[in-house]
Amino acid sequence: MHRLSDAVTSFDTEAAVAAAKEAVALKMNPVKAIEEGLAKGLREIGDKFENGELYLPHLIMGADALEAAVKVLEGGMGGGSLDSMSKGSVVIGTVEGDIHDLGFRIVASMLRANGFKVYDIGFNKKSVEFIEKAKEANADIIAVSSLMTTTMPFMKDLIEALQAAGLRDRFLVVVGGGPVTEGWSKEIGADGYGRDAAEAVRAATALMAKKRK
Amino acid sequence: MTARDFDMGLFHTTTRLVKEHDIRYDPENPVSCDDGLADEVWKAGLELFQEMGAYCINSSRVIKFSDSETRRSLGELRGEAEIGEGGEHRTITLRGVEDPRPPTIVCGGVIESNVPEGDMFVKLYQSIAQEPLIDGFYVGPPLLSSEGRLVRSGTPLEAHLGRSMATWVREATRRVGRPGMHFISACTPAVANIAAADPVDGLRRSDGIVATIMTELKTDYENLTKVTFSHDYGCVKHVYNGGMIGGWSGGPEGALIVAIANAIMAVAVYKIGVGSSYNALGYLRASSPNYSAFVTRPCLWGSSIGSQAISRNTRIINTAVAMTNAGPGTEMQFQEITAAQCAAIPCGREGLSQGARRFKVRPLLGSGLENRFWGELAYALAGVKRDHANAIAKTMLSKYEHKITKESDGGPQGYTFDEMYDLKTLTPKPQFLQVYESVKKELEDLGINFRY
Repeated sequence: MHRLSDAVTSFDTEAAVAAAKEAVALKMNPVKAIEEGLAKGLREIGDKFENGELYLPHLIMGADALEAAVKVLEGGMGGGSLDSMSKGSVVIGTVEGDIHDLGFRIVASMLRANGFKVYDIGFNKKSVEFIEKAKEANADIIAVSSLMTTTMPFMKDLIEALQAAGLRDRFLVVVGGGPVTEGWSKEIGADGYGRDAAEAVRAATALMAKKRK
Repeated sequence: MTARDFDMGLFHTTTRLVKEHDIRYDPENPVSCDDGLADEVWKAGLELFQEMGAYCINSSRVIKFSDSETRRSLGELRGEAEIGEGGEHRTITLRGVEDPRPPTIVCGGVIESNVPEGDMFVKLYQSIAQEPLIDGFYVGPPLLSSEGRLVRSGTPLEAHLGRSMATWVREATRRVGRPGMHFISACTPAVANIAAADPVDGLRRSDGIVATIMTELKTDYENLTKVTFSHDYGCVKHVYNGGMIGGWSGGPEGALIVAIANAIMAVAVYKIGVGSSYNALGYLRASSPNYSAFVTRPCLWGSSIGSQAISRNTRIINTAVAMTNAGPGTEMQFQEITAAQCAAIPCGREGLSQGARRFKVRPLLGSGLENRFWGELAYALAGVKRDHANAIAKTMLSKYEHKITKESDGGPQGYTFDEMYDLKTLTPKPQFLQVYESVKKELEDLGINFRY
């Protein structure tokens, strides 16, 4: 467990893969290996990021090490997938017209650190792209970010598009970003709101707990 | 090259340069007096730009410059810019570190707050334009609506809105008898700024268009279109750029040298040496709690050294920006403005741009009063020595630093324009004038001599 965790906190993808191979050889429970090893390491990075001790590239490098090791653990299950054992799956990106990619990437890394399967579709994405990816990945949550008041209305459009397609009940929607407020989230009928990365993770976790009840 | 490869390359290069140049964050001195450090930061920023170049996110292409090309671009800088018309014409010239001369431009403005379209917008900008020390202002979205409709980015309504805003600004300046006043249009889509161009009733050649350098060392076709149009139309260019603490550049030291490299990118890619232009060197933190970091301790440190590095080594016209955590009409916003200016005016910035405004978006969160303070303080800080500015900044930080918390949403949200002003006479209400006067008195006690 320590080796898995340490490989992530030292941003060492090769070491994470080697530790995962060893975990597979030792027939370690893969969920435990992720939760108490890899994700624990990424959570430590996340905490240091929150305190200003580490920065976005560290979150990204830690998440890379985690994902490479998770692939090895999945391979060890004989072609199985760990997706069903995750806390939930999230399609994340910024809305149409919004090219601010820093904030949502922080949220994506923090979600990964907290056991979510994350599909990062990037920035400046149309509602249809969020929906298509969510359908393809059979995601639980669509998380959308906006840093501009003129792109915030696209969040509303996304929810309306989901309603029009008869998919509103299938996907939970979490919103966030600089100008986005809880009031806006309620006004457009989103399911959750994150003022920052930590709150976004809390919102996603709470929504998944409710969904799985 | 993918953006991610560029970003990670920038992180590793920046980390190496911070070590090689021995740049260390000093929280005890938010306003640095270290000339040697400023020059070292300049060298590191120049090396960073030469190694990395700039990245265009539309073409996924790295734009590289040879050493001689970069130096030639820096040599094009005249250190002078013309703005405004008639009685409102101003010539912006270079200042130096601890320069006794006053700032040569003071731009006000309200942004990050969404404003209703039409007459209330005009009145709000009128309240700023009537302030005698304000030379111009920054005008951008967000507006609540255009013709009653919610404005979506990239839709035709944005072009209409860009045009409408310019005409409302002209109306505001006309109402206060300053029709030639300069403004910079900060609409995000290029088309909205282009639609505003009109030598009579809209964005004139003595006005400007804001182009941004994206984090970090990046551009896109929208910004390049703004630059190209500014060249073709012949209007002023205003380039906003800055390093982001916590982002791709790492900590305060890395963000500082990225800020310098961004400024060099403005010279090489956005060609600010051609025509009239001025820069705004920002310095932010990619904070997880959603509050403004412009006025936090590491950002003041970066701003003070970045100002000096540019002032001592280039002819870039560099202006200051302050996004505050507290809203208008509060003691804390005045304190934040003071700290931001201590890291700017005594450190060689030519003036102020974009106004002081609260980071959070709430309708009508801005007024002429904080813009008045913004201008008066800038004049008062001319000639103040850096060690004195450092002491004042530390005093201000001690008063507000602890209030910037997640729980408080960064600080008090303040008061809206219609709460602060008598809308018939367009004058601030007595209780807000009292707060303003009490902060000025406090600063006078700290040795700041207000001329106005």
